[in-house]
Amino acid sequence: MIEFHLDSRSGVPAYLQLVQQVRQAIRLGILRPGDQLPTVKEVVATLTINPNTVLHAYRQLDLEGLTEGRRGVGTFVAESRPAIQASDLRSLRTTLDRWVARAREAGVDEDTIAALFAEAIRPDSVSRVA
Amino acid sequence: MSEQAAVRTDGLGKRYGSTWALRDCTLEIPAGSVTALVGPNGAGKTTLLHLLIGLGKPSAGRVEVLGLSPRRDAAVLLPRLSFVAQDHPLYRGLSIADTLKLARKLNPSWDEERAQARIERLGLDPHRKVSKLSGGQQAQVALTLALSKEPELLLLDEPVASLDPLARREFLGAVLEAVADTQMTVVISSHIVSELERVCDHLITLVDSRAQLAGSIAEIVASHRLLTGPRSDAASVARVHQVIRESHTERQTTLLVRANGHVYDSCWEQHEVDLEEIVLAYLGYRPGANRWEAGAQEVVPV
Amino acid sequence: MTWVAWRLQRTETLITLGILALLAALLVPTGINMANAYHHLGLSSCTGIEQGSACGQKIGDFQMRFESLTHLTDWFTLVPGVIGVLLAAPFIFDLEHGTYRLAWTQSITRRRWLASKLSLPIAAAVVAAGVMILLITWWRTPDIRLDGRLGNGTYDAVGTVAIGYTLFALGLALALGAVWRRAAASITVAFVGYFAVRIFVDTYLRDHLVAPLKATFKGNPPARLNHAEILSQTVLGHPHVHLQGPVGAGSQIAAPKGATPTVFQAVYQPASHFWPLQLTETGLFVGLAVLLIAFAAWWTHERTV
Repeated sequence: MIEFHLDSRSGVPAYLQLVQQVRQAIRLGILRPGDQLPTVKEVVATLTINPNTVLHAYRQLDLEGLTEGRRGVGTFVAESRPAIQASDLRSLRTTLDRWVARAREAGVDEDTIAALFAEAIRPDSVSRVA
Repeated sequence: MSEQAAVRTDGLGKRYGSTWALRDCTLEIPAGSVTALVGPNGAGKTTLLHLLIGLGKPSAGRVEVLGLSPRRDAAVLLPRLSFVAQDHPLYRGLSIADTLKLARKLNPSWDEERAQARIERLGLDPHRKVSKLSGGQQAQVALTLALSKEPELLLLDEPVASLDPLARREFLGAVLEAVADTQMTVVISSHIVSELERVCDHLITLVDSRAQLAGSIAEIVASHRLLTGPRSDAASVARVHQVIRESHTERQTTLLVRANGHVYDSCWEQHEVDLEEIVLAYLGYRPGANRWEAGAQEVVPV
Repeated sequence: MTWVAWRLQRTETLITLGILALLAALLVPTGINMANAYHHLGLSSCTGIEQGSACGQKIGDFQMRFESLTHLTDWFTLVPGVIGVLLAAPFIFDLEHGTYRLAWTQSITRRRWLASKLSLPIAAAVVAAGVMILLITWWRTPDIRLDGRLGNGTYDAVGTVAIGYTLFALGLALALGAVWRRAAASITVAFVGYFAVRIFVDTYLRDHLVAPLKATFKGNPPARLNHAEILSQTVLGHPHVHLQGPVGAGSQIAAPKGATPTVFQAVYQPASHFWPLQLTETGLFVGLAVLLIAFAAWWTHERTV
C-alpha cells in the first residue's frame, strides 16, 4: 500500500505530485499490478486535501493506463503496463539530441535548457505555441 | 461536477443602520465544491454566511440557497444546511451526550451512530460538560453536530482560527472526509490564506464589504500573471487587462494582472503567480489606487 | 423540542422550586401555629364589624403576637418579581452567549423555537404564582376572617394578582433581555422596574380600578363597611378634615362642638369589590405582560441576527 505525502513548497500541483508518486511506486515495485490504491476518503483523511484533487490524480493515472477504477470497489494498479515501443523511444531520443545541440549553438545555458524543458512537459503549460 | 449552483446571489447587500456590511455581492457557488471565503476581519464574511443560513435578512438584492430562499423557505431548507458560527457556540451547561440529544431532537435527519462514533474517535467522554472542554474540542463537537445532520451545504465561519495546528488538521480532515463521502458543498470562511489551496477548489475574496474574486482556484491561478519589465507606465497593459497591483523601483516595474486572454505585449516578462500572492494582492487592493475601471465589479461565476 | 426547552431551563426552574419550598418551610409550621392560636382564642366569634371589648382585646393580642411575622410576609409581594425575572434568564442567556445561532440553524424555524422557549417560562410563572397564592391564602385564613382581604399585604397575595405580577416581571425581563442581550443587567433592571411599577399601581391606581362607594352614617359604621377598605372618611359638612383611625365613632374627631350628632361620610371599597378589583388589576398586569412578551418575541424574530 502506498502512502502519499505532499510538498506544498515544490510548486508542483498537488494532483501531479500524487500521480508522480504512484508512477514512482510502480516503477520501484512498491505497487504491483492488482494492488489497490488508497480510497479517496483515505487520502483525504491523511493529507487533508480536497477530494477533487485526488479524483483528478486518479483520473490522470487512469488516462495514462497505469490504473483502472472498479466502480464501487476502488482504484487498482493496471494489470499490464503500457508497452513503449523501443523504436519510438529511439526516434524521440534522436530528436531530443538534435534540439539540445541547437540550443547550445544558440548560446542557451544548461539551466535555461532545463527550465525550457520543464515548462514544455508541464501538462497545464501556460505558454502555448501561438 | 454537477451543474447546479448550491448558492446564487444577485446584488446581495446587508446594512446595519447606515453602514453596509455587504454590498453588490453577485456570485455563484457550484454544488460539490469546497469554497474558501477570504477577507480581512470586518469585510463581510460573517454577514454573507448569516444571509446564506437565514440568520439575517438581505437589505438589498437576492440570495438563493439550493434553489430556495433561506428566510422564506427556512422550514424546508434548514434541515439540508449546517452552520458552525464563529466561536462555535455550544450550551456550556450541557454534557456532550445532552448536546447530541439536543441536536437529535431538533433535526429530523440525524445520524446518531455517526455522531457517537465521531465523539468516540475524538477520544471525548460523552458525560463531560461542554464548559470543561478545550477550544479545539468544542470546535470538534460543534462540527460533529453539523456533520451528523448530513447536510447538503456546510457553512463554516472561521472555525479553525482559534485552533492549534493539530486540531486544525483534524477538523479540516473531518470536513473533507465528509465531502469525499457525500459530495457535500462547503463554504469555509477564513483570514488565513496559506492553507486554502490544498483544501479548497473555489475561492471568494471579500474586501470592504464587496466580493472581488469568485471562481475556481485553478481558473484564478491560470488567469493571473506577474509581469515584470523596465520601468514604465502600466497604461498600455491596463487597456486590455486588469491591473491588480503595480509597483515600481527606479528601473523596474512589476504588475500583477488578471489577464483578459493572453498577454501578447513582448516588453513584459511573464511569470506565474501562486494563489497566496494573488489573494494577498486583492486583499490589499484599493480601487482608487490602480486602474481598475469604475463599475467593473469583476466577479466571475463558474 | 419540549425536552430541549425544559432541559435548558432546568436550573432556573429548580431555583424557583427552591424558593417555593423555602416559603413553604416558613409558612407551613407558622400557619399551623396561627390557626391553632386563632381557634384557641375563640376568635371565630369575633368577625363582625361591631365587637365587644373582649373581642377587641383578643384580636389585639392575636395580631400583636403575629405582627412581625405578618410584616415579614408582606415582603413576599416581591417574590413574584424575583421568580418572574429569574424565569427569563435562559432566554436571555441564549442571546447573550450566542447559542441562539446554534439553535436557529438546526432544523426548526425561529418561530417554533421562540414559541417553545417562551411558553415554558410562561407556564412555569403561572404555576409558581398559583402555588404561592394557595400557600399564602391558606396561611392568612385567620387574618382574612378578621380583617377581610382588602388589606395591602393580604390583597397582593390571595387573589389572582400575583399571577399578573409574575407574568409582568417575566415579560419585562424578556423585553429588556431581547434588546440588550445581557442577562445580569436585564434581570436587575427588570426587577427594579417591577418594583417601581408595583409601587405606582399600589399607590395611585389600585383603589380606583373599580369605582368606590360612598356611605353616610351616624355613630357606628354600617355592616356593609365590614372588611371594607376605607379610602377616606370625613365629617359631613367638613369635607377637608380627613379622619384617621377606625371608622365612624371610633375615629379621632376634631369636629366643632354642636348639638347635632356627627354624621360621617366614608369613601370605601366594599368586601364584595374584591374580585372585580383583583381581576381588573390582574388584567392590567397580564395585559402589560402580553405586550412585553410579544415585543420580545417580535424583536428576537425580526431584528436579531
